[in-house]
Amino acid sequence: MQKILKIAQREFVETAKTKTFILGLVMGPVIIIAIIFFTSLASDGKTGARPPVNVLITDLSSQVFAEGDNSTFHDYNKSNPNRQIQISKLAAGPDPNAAAEEGKDSLRKGRCHAYVVLDEGIVQNEGKIRIYTYKPKPREIDIIGTVRYLLREAVRNQRYEAQNLSAELVNKLQDVQIEQIEVGPDDTDRVQSQADTGAKFMIPFAFMFLVYLGMVGTGQHLISSVIEEKGSRIIEVLLSAVSPFELMAGKIVGLAGVGLAIVGVWAAVAYVMAAWHDVSIEITAELMLYLVVYYILGFLLFSSFFAGAGSICNTIKETQGLMMPIMMVVIVPMISWWKLVQNPDGTLARALSFVPPLTSMVMVLRISAGSDIWIGEILGSIALLAATVVLAMWAAAKVFRTGILMYGKRPALREVFRWLREG
Amino acid sequence: MDAVILNGISKSFGDVRAVGNLSVRVPQGSIYGFLGPNGAGKTTTLRMIMDIIRPDSGHIELLGNRSIKNARGRVGYMPEERGLYRKMTVANVLAYFGAIKGLSSREAAERVPRWLSRVKLGETAGKKVEELSRGMHQKLQFAVTAINEPELLILDEPFSGLDPLNTDLLKSIILEMRDEGKTVIFSTHVMHEAERLCDFILLINKGQAILDDRLTGIQARYKSGAVRLEAEGDTGFIERLPMVAAVKPEDKGLEVSLTGGGDPQELLRALVDRLRVNRFEVKVPSLHEIFVKLIGSDNAEDS
Repeated sequence: MQKILKIAQREFVETAKTKTFILGLVMGPVIIIAIIFFTSLASDGKTGARPPVNVLITDLSSQVFAEGDNSTFHDYNKSNPNRQIQISKLAAGPDPNAAAEEGKDSLRKGRCHAYVVLDEGIVQNEGKIRIYTYKPKPREIDIIGTVRYLLREAVRNQRYEAQNLSAELVNKLQDVQIEQIEVGPDDTDRVQSQADTGAKFMIPFAFMFLVYLGMVGTGQHLISSVIEEKGSRIIEVLLSAVSPFELMAGKIVGLAGVGLAIVGVWAAVAYVMAAWHDVSIEITAELMLYLVVYYILGFLLFSSFFAGAGSICNTIKETQGLMMPIMMVVIVPMISWWKLVQNPDGTLARALSFVPPLTSMVMVLRISAGSDIWIGEILGSIALLAATVVLAMWAAAKVFRTGILMYGKRPALREVFRWLREG
Repeated sequence: MDAVILNGISKSFGDVRAVGNLSVRVPQGSIYGFLGPNGAGKTTTLRMIMDIIRPDSGHIELLGNRSIKNARGRVGYMPEERGLYRKMTVANVLAYFGAIKGLSSREAAERVPRWLSRVKLGETAGKKVEELSRGMHQKLQFAVTAINEPELLILDEPFSGLDPLNTDLLKSIILEMRDEGKTVIFSTHVMHEAERLCDFILLINKGQAILDDRLTGIQARYKSGAVRLEAEGDTGFIERLPMVAAVKPEDKGLEVSLTGGGDPQELLRALVDRLRVNRFEVKVPSLHEIFVKLIGSDNAEDS
């Protein structure tokens, strides 16, 4: 035990000195801060300048854009001097189809960004508005959305007028103020903002991502550490002092510390940032307990895989072929997290919970998504995961013992299975 | 008592039989040389003693233990393939290996500087391992092996890559450790190193023991019955002496081969009356000669 701790200590200290570790420690928080910063910038960014947008309009109703302009667009342009929408009219003439062809043609020639046709009966709730675009650039899609919104407003106002209603009055009647308040255990009621609702979905993902990071990100360090000792021929010197199992265990314990350090720093930064942006994150003791249990088990499972894989390879490059399949599996909950959060008790979520490499990630996601999972399901998944960990550790120790002294060509997987049988 | 007992151990790698039915007893407090050409099975045997690989059959006893686990802290092993953490400092590497061999931090604080100065690396304590020269690296590796002051030292090709000065330094440390009652096993294919250091010799070839005895015993068994002679005066009569089989000139003197029962003392007595004898040496066969004689010159890679 003394020896395992000594090895773990060195592993931790030496890893903490590497550039990869420091980069990982700093980059995560930098990315989190950057995302939050740019998101808030983007939401204010509507007022940022952009070149004027040309919209060509054929108004068959001759009511909405009667004077060649419209008060809704006029007001918009007045309050957004940097983001003008220029309206030009294309007269319908005797044949509306000819006008439409002409409009589409100027779209294709790039003379306008959008061509709009308002049907004759649009104010009488007959027909519709057609917005034509030609190969819109991604940044123009947002603007087209604004045009769409303004057109709807303009037509509605025209309809109110036709019904002899005051647009101002209707808008006033439509305005209903709502506030959603979450009652705290004491006097700490808090008004729910949009951000809170977003956080309800993001927090489970954040927890799952931390688990993923701790398990897989740390694995890279483990592999490079094993490869270094193999490559510089330290292994035999080490094996004269400690048993292969002690060596492997020491490395895993040391890197568990590395993983906890990274995950801890990231989580702390995320928490502080959330608090700063007034987003409440509620972490119950129960959630913490499950988080720790699932993290440790998942970490052990991945570590034994990485230790075994590292021991039979001579270069980082060789390990990549072995890592591929496991990475493909781990990506599943990353892709489908949105579905899992929305339906944490669905078939997909329950099935993935019992795939051992995914159990940790999916269960943490489900629990933090606030699903009432039957306790039997939790205990069952923990038991299955723990059994897999024991099996994986046993296999890794055997592969490690033989693989670590092998140089030259990487043994075929068939041969690795033979070591497991013979041991 | 024997420090190491190998009892009929065998090991094959695929179709290649690396070691076949080898039995050796290494007495405590001796220096035991494992000699043999490259690929003879020396490293495999040492690795099996260290439980780094396991024999297919036979068993090994180490310092009175059937399991290396109980003896690991009392053994120092310097493998043929050696390496150290390149990014750590010399003193830290030594302290780390001391620690995993069971030294307390207080013991380590005392022994690290002592061993560094013993191998004349005191100046480099704060340097990184990657800044050391090959010879310095090798000496540090030896210090790593000996830091826990083990009862048994197992050294695989300890002198390869060392200049004569450092070779002598290492040899004197090994002899000192023997005099402290420690047992040393080392392997080499360089015969004259063994000749100057070993009490016992095990000669292996193709995994088989060819010779296993005290160095003095081996030399007596293979003594050639020849005398080296340098003298002033007319040496022509020597050829006709009864105990002399043949005379041939050699360097500055003569090499005299004796007949089967010829006694060198008789020869000397016959000489001193008629010649001024400057040098008289009963020729001891070199290990190199024995090695070549037993294994065949095409197997000898080095002298």
